[in-house]
Amino acid sequence: MPSLRIGVDTGGTFTDFVVFDPATGEFSTFKLPSTPHDPAEAILAGLSRIGGTGRAIIHGSTVATNALLERKGAKTALITTAGFTDVLEIGRQNRPSLYDFFTSRPTPLVPAALRFGLHERVSHTGDIHTPLDLAELDALLPHFSASAIESIAVCFLFSFTHPDHEQLVAERLRAAGYFVSVSHEILPEFREYERTSATVINAAVSPVMGRYLAHLESALPQDNLQIMGSNGGSISPAEARVQAARCILSGPAGGAVGAQAVGRAAGVDQLITFDMGGTSTDVSLIDGTLHTTHEAEIGGLPIRIPVIDIHTIGAGGGSIATVDPGGVLRVGPHSAGADPGPACYGRGDQPTVTDANLVLGRLLPDRFLDGQMPLDATRARAALQPLAEQLDLSVEATALGIIRIANAHMTRALQVISVERGRDPRQFTLLSFGGAGSLHATDLARALAIPRILIPPQAATLSALGMLMADIVRDYSRTVMLPGATPFAELKTHFSPLLSTAAQNLTSYGLNSSQQSLHATLDLRYRGQSYELNIPFTPDFLSAFHLAHQSEFGYANTTAELEVVNLRVRAIGAVASPAFPRLEPYTQAAQPFAHHPVCFENGVIATPFYEGAALAPGHAVSGPAIIIKPDTTILLNRGDFAAVDSLGNLMIEVTP
Amino acid sequence: MTADSIELEIFKHLFAAIPEEMGVLLKRSAYSPNIKERRDYSCAIFDAAGQMIAQAAHIPVHLGAMPLSVQQALAEVDLQPGDVVILNDPYRGGTHLPDITLISPVFIGDALFGFAANRAHHADVGGMAPGSMPIARELVQEGLIIPPVKLMSGGQIQQGIWDIILANVRTPVERAGDLHAQLAANRRGVSRMEELAARYGVPTLNHHSAALLDYTERLTRALLQDRPDGRYEFEDQLDDDGISPDPLHIRVAITISGDSASVDFTGTAPQAQGSVNAVYAITLSAVYYVFRSLLSLDVPNNSGCLRPIQIIAPEGTLVNARRPAPVAGGNVETSQRITDVLLGALAQAAPDRIPAASQGTMNNILIGGWDPGRNAPFTYYETLAGGMGARPGLRGESAIHTHMTNTLNTPVEALEFAYPFEVVRYEIRRGTGGAGQFPGGEGLQRDLRLNVLATASLLTDRRISRPYGLAGGEPGAPGQNILIREGIESPLPAKGSVDLQPDDILSIRTPGGGGWGSKVPE
Repeated sequence: MPSLRIGVDTGGTFTDFVVFDPATGEFSTFKLPSTPHDPAEAILAGLSRIGGTGRAIIHGSTVATNALLERKGAKTALITTAGFTDVLEIGRQNRPSLYDFFTSRPTPLVPAALRFGLHERVSHTGDIHTPLDLAELDALLPHFSASAIESIAVCFLFSFTHPDHEQLVAERLRAAGYFVSVSHEILPEFREYERTSATVINAAVSPVMGRYLAHLESALPQDNLQIMGSNGGSISPAEARVQAARCILSGPAGGAVGAQAVGRAAGVDQLITFDMGGTSTDVSLIDGTLHTTHEAEIGGLPIRIPVIDIHTIGAGGGSIATVDPGGVLRVGPHSAGADPGPACYGRGDQPTVTDANLVLGRLLPDRFLDGQMPLDATRARAALQPLAEQLDLSVEATALGIIRIANAHMTRALQVISVERGRDPRQFTLLSFGGAGSLHATDLARALAIPRILIPPQAATLSALGMLMADIVRDYSRTVMLPGATPFAELKTHFSPLLSTAAQNLTSYGLNSSQQSLHATLDLRYRGQSYELNIPFTPDFLSAFHLAHQSEFGYANTTAELEVVNLRVRAIGAVASPAFPRLEPYTQAAQPFAHHPVCFENGVIATPFYEGAALAPGHAVSGPAIIIKPDTTILLNRGDFAAVDSLGNLMIEVTP
Repeated sequence: MTADSIELEIFKHLFAAIPEEMGVLLKRSAYSPNIKERRDYSCAIFDAAGQMIAQAAHIPVHLGAMPLSVQQALAEVDLQPGDVVILNDPYRGGTHLPDITLISPVFIGDALFGFAANRAHHADVGGMAPGSMPIARELVQEGLIIPPVKLMSGGQIQQGIWDIILANVRTPVERAGDLHAQLAANRRGVSRMEELAARYGVPTLNHHSAALLDYTERLTRALLQDRPDGRYEFEDQLDDDGISPDPLHIRVAITISGDSASVDFTGTAPQAQGSVNAVYAITLSAVYYVFRSLLSLDVPNNSGCLRPIQIIAPEGTLVNARRPAPVAGGNVETSQRITDVLLGALAQAAPDRIPAASQGTMNNILIGGWDPGRNAPFTYYETLAGGMGARPGLRGESAIHTHMTNTLNTPVEALEFAYPFEVVRYEIRRGTGGAGQFPGGEGLQRDLRLNVLATASLLTDRRISRPYGLAGGEPGAPGQNILIREGIESPLPAKGSVDLQPDDILSIRTPGGGGWGSKVPE
């Protein structure tokens, strides 16, 4: 009998479970309150509720993320080339904020007293200029034990050209019982600060992740556990233990994979995802493929390991509205968060975006979060009152202003990932998930001329769904810095160690060859440039580069010399992705369960409210209308038209 | 106010998005590491009168100065749709020659609606030394001078101008790539402004851009009103001009009166023989930067900030030089000292808001020569971070760029692939930050070992004078430029050129920041 496949996403408030049963072809989902003191508690409770054995469990964990953000990682030392112990602290020498005398950079993860230099030097061509003397390392060992060091990061200059020195140091330290994170294993690419940063992050979080996974695995001896990575694929716990840095942004990555899966099932592969939560909003663009970026930062620290390209802004339903000294209404950057939360939650008094939505009649107080959290409309109004007085506007006009300004922030975020990167939003569908977003989605789509919105039935557990659907994905790379004129056959020989490591790794997952695929690409640039384009490794990669340069940047220089900067291999182990069940079409026409006054830009309208759960394939709703679902509320403006497809997706056509 | 209070915030976002998008495009499509990796560029949009409506936060020294570029183009060139004006002449809208500005008028119908402009630092624009920041005695030695002329006319590149520019620079392929990127950024800015006009109409946009200028002005006035009236004086100095060893004094008196202020540089040294002269645009940028930094972070960056402030910068002085004085270092060194004197004066009016002096130099290093390995010339330009001055209540950051610049370093591993030298040490100079209740940030040391014959030009300061402390804090340590040849260290001047041999080590040690508050005895 085929076993259950389960996606588990640990979030700040809830732990989400999505279960696929191959025997019946059905999905089921549920949420349990998260247990931040021990995240495994909620996970194990949920898994025991699901039952069965030999289950395939794909888990997105925030253990590594929180260890990093809360600076609760393992006590870590750093070993570098002598003369370069401060690279981690100098960073790229820039300040985070231009017009702020009080700006500060994040404190380095390893303080100066725990950073040590060894005399050694490898050149950019891979020649040893100064040989390593392990006696220098041995002299440090007593210091490490005296300082209660648990984990050690090792990053020597140019180690990607010649890793021997790093290997020797790593062997000695591992033999002495330390967890060791080595730069050529984590990120064998040039740019010493970013490589050091990734290596140190990995050193700090891996031991924490290791303890967590050991606990989880010992409690689940009969199951097959996989860990979600930030690149949109999963990896084994064995890999996650030593390369936990690859899992730091796994939650949003799961969301993107889930979005792609529900989009594909609905026949839509050009998506802009919009996930608006209480304190932040994530947006990403999927144009048939999920894009990864090498420029991600977490807590202000660069990580440079490939992660799904997601743009996050600090604005959400909990963003606080204020009037500034110049008399202008502002929304954010401060947030009421989950506690005290918006004024209408009954604990705080700060006016937020959610309060504005409530005052406008767009949320039903007794139906928020499926009725689990009644909202206090009087309190929301009282919170907005002082702003309204300062602005000399009605409370409703003030609330509309708050919504418009919040939408301006969101619009800007959506522009960053679309028009700024040369993508035309008119070619995309806006996929809205996350609790707070669907009240704003139609306005945002209109602002950007996005013609259509997709709200999937799995909106509330999309990340966990994505984890369940995720392939096994591992990325490999190495900086080579070769002339573009290097013969194809020679480049192939440079690729072969990467390819064989990747293939071996996939085989170790028990995947047969039909499930395995390896994708070799090159990072190329014109010599003298400092930005690379990623081009598939084929015999005509040179002409492909010129074409790509022309289309990205508007010019190409076919006579200029090229440079092959990095070799990349992405190894994918495909898992059978389950199909979503089709739903029965409606039998009775959709009827609103009530009419309530709702305030729109052009006035108050008695607006029909629909029960989302009662909408079935074939049903259609015209705006103005509000659709209430257990996890989100959807606002349709006049002219918007929503229809339910056979998978239960709400497809909204937006009138420009 | 009322409904405008909401509209203003919306339009602030709409306008601010345009230069940000231009900047992203410029960075992505530029050819040279100086723009791409170090991000030495800025973008802004302007109204029809050349008032800056919005700028992306890039390089402060560019930004107060850009409106003058636009106004110069407006005054000197007969602008038509599809034109792009190029300039770098410091005495006609520019600041120093490597900074090339492209200005595109935006027409709606037949009427001028505004401008999109960007400025980028080109790694070489010719002249007597690679990198175009030599120790010169007159402007013409510093590089190719481009007055405001059309680089594009009616949408067509003016091939003659294009060819003259590329014929006068050391690395023409790079320059062409960067100019193409600058053109693309402006093109994007123009089309975004046209889209806004189509969507909202010119009168609405003009109404809101004017209101945003008023709004920033209002906030600046509120800031001044909050500070005690009075005359606040300060004086500091540059070590030298690279030609004579004498220090050069910069003096300022800031008078706050109600909700306005005057900033008077009378008493500042006459313009110098060497390349440390600042044109007026630089001084304006420094004033803009200092007052802008006292406002809150998300106040729109526009010309309204300077309206309540009157600037008096006597002509022929270090802070308002006249042709043909050389100016390469005015932008990168003198601008920092102008900032220091402004902050020193304001510290008396706003002691709770002003940091002690930061390193006060950008430590410009230019190395050029012939790379026999590649059989090609090379030009390398870098600025080095140093100590930040301590803040009231907060220590200064170490090894960080402050005030008028924010360029990134070139990674050691990128540099050695590209140039015939290697970095042998890159460390923080412990103990260089000024002592105090809150200590100043530390400077750094970067040592380069040459593999070939080369010429280095140094344009640095605070090698003699020290970044001041405040409220009883000690000054930071001065920087040092050292040549290490066969193991023997010898000092190099703050400004000057030096011929380097293979195996020579050029060791640049940057100043620490001043401390804040008297050190409490332990």
